[in-house]
Amino acid sequence: MEAETTLQPLLSIVPAAQNNINTKFIVLDKERVPLEGNHKTCRALVADDTAAVHFQLWGDECDAVEPGDILLLTKGIFSDIRNNFLLRAGKRGKLEKVGEFTMNFVETPNLSEMRWASHPQRPDKYVQQGVISTHSRLFESLM
Amino acid sequence: MASKLTERCPHEAESSLEITLRQAFCCLQPQLSPPFPLTIPTQEQYSQLNKAILYGILCEPHLAKVHIKHLHAVITDGYEYFTSILIKIVNEMHGKLVDSAKRQLIWVTREMVDVSAIGFDGLLVALLRQIVGGDFGEENLWLCFEMVSLFSSKWDCMLEEVPLVLTGALYVFLRLLSDHCRVMNVPKIESLRKMEKDFCVKMLREKFDLCLKIGRDLVRILQDLVHVPEFRAVWKDLLYDPSTFGVDDFLDISKLYNTRTSKWYFLLRVTPQMESQLRFLLTHVKFGSQKRYQIWFTRKFLSVPEKNAVVIDIVRFICCAHHPSNDIIHSDIIPRWAVTGWLLKSSMKNYVEANSKLALFYDWLFFNEKVDNVMNIEPAVLLMVHSIPNYIDLTNSLLEFLLILLDNYDLERKEIVLRGISTAFHTLVRKGVIKSLDVLINCHKLSANLRERLAELLSGCSGIAESSRIPTSQML
Repeated sequence: MEAETTLQPLLSIVPAAQNNINTKFIVLDKERVPLEGNHKTCRALVADDTAAVHFQLWGDECDAVEPGDILLLTKGIFSDIRNNFLLRAGKRGKLEKVGEFTMNFVETPNLSEMRWASHPQRPDKYVQQGVISTHSRLFESLM
Repeated sequence: MASKLTERCPHEAESSLEITLRQAFCCLQPQLSPPFPLTIPTQEQYSQLNKAILYGILCEPHLAKVHIKHLHAVITDGYEYFTSILIKIVNEMHGKLVDSAKRQLIWVTREMVDVSAIGFDGLLVALLRQIVGGDFGEENLWLCFEMVSLFSSKWDCMLEEVPLVLTGALYVFLRLLSDHCRVMNVPKIESLRKMEKDFCVKMLREKFDLCLKIGRDLVRILQDLVHVPEFRAVWKDLLYDPSTFGVDDFLDISKLYNTRTSKWYFLLRVTPQMESQLRFLLTHVKFGSQKRYQIWFTRKFLSVPEKNAVVIDIVRFICCAHHPSNDIIHSDIIPRWAVTGWLLKSSMKNYVEANSKLALFYDWLFFNEKVDNVMNIEPAVLLMVHSIPNYIDLTNSLLEFLLILLDNYDLERKEIVLRGISTAFHTLVRKGVIKSLDVLINCHKLSANLRERLAELLSGCSGIAESSRIPTSQML
């Protein structure tokens, strides 16, 4: 077994240019049509019992991940990709399926639907400035 | 070189159980071929050795005979630890095992039966639970075949040592037969069906005293097989000639009606994965937040029409084997009646729907406060009552079904069913599950005829209608 890493709740995540997010969540929904470019990508709605966020699946993750899967993300990154704040594994992170179904979640707040701005004193940090939408505007809520 | 134990999807984490087994094997590999050391291992070494040998048996089929000899030589605990890991493997990773490991697993299970290993009954039960109802895939039918062969070939040993497991196997194979007797054109199904029938008929004809232990659900599942000649004959004898079974105190089928079936049997027909998802839904998910979970459950277990029949088993599981605590009952967690309502509304074949309703009401028909639990009949009444505002059609169809059961379930023993149903209603009110039955009797959205008949039934002067006599066997 790998050394136990402390998992952080999604609600505590802030955008940063760092691959240091360790967390566990359940996949609620996934875009049907992946974006084909140099590498296939598609977005998913993921959540734990504190918050939801949009996740960018990359390459074969797009097909391997299904709604209902419980995923463990190690060394992930939450950052701005073309004005979308997305969580992803990135080149240095790892995404692993560790279970199915048996996890609670909330659909609001959604971290990708927050307004984030640079910290006035520390430009490498982001702070939350407001809520654009309580729920995902990308995926339909089923609550 | 050992082959792998499981087939993993891309991005799927390796299970901790597999990791510990493989580590034990890699670490002790030099000791796993003769000459075996004669030193007596410590407790810790003993556990590691058990794991290493088990991994070797599953992953090195060509060396399995060497490994099993080694195992027999080192065992000091009656195989208790060894079978306990086997059970864990079956429960946690059976579906992911590579084909060769699945075959080895059956082989080592036979070995465990032969040596009467401590816990081999639990191992057999775990394997029975892995057989999926309504799944005609090659792998699943292969497991059915292996299990029914095992039970048939080790009959005497099991009869002596684990008779109760034989009754569990009977319950499982009767239930599977009702699926297997409904299909044609599935390769090898004919020979499988024959083995399953032979096993079940032998149990019923030769060991009926054991079969009685199953209780009333034996009647429910046998009834589903009356179209099969072998079982029609058993059914007739149950009704008209009970002495043929050679059990002194079995004088009438009502003896079975009066015996509540243990929840153990219902667990045999839901897989551990299904069980854990259903229990999670019923203990952690708030009412109103269940929709995604229901979609996921349907996609995984109910999407193929043939697999729908498992709804019958799930309804029995929810009514009889999952009784929530008072804390859960008074919380905002989704209640059992809502989950059964969702299952009944999912699209299914007519016979599955009828059988699911029968599963929901089955304990009502013979309800007796001395042996029955009000929790088994609670979901049906709450489903009827809570469906009135938005799903009156469901309330109507459930109540109608219950009254049809009263008229037709057993024409010769109508008094029993009448007493059962009216006791059920009165007990539900007395225990405070519902405040009063007025909510049904005075509900103007319900059909007038049903309300009238219900009032009659509850007043205790229910005329037993002589009309619409349908033989029990044609009811469903």
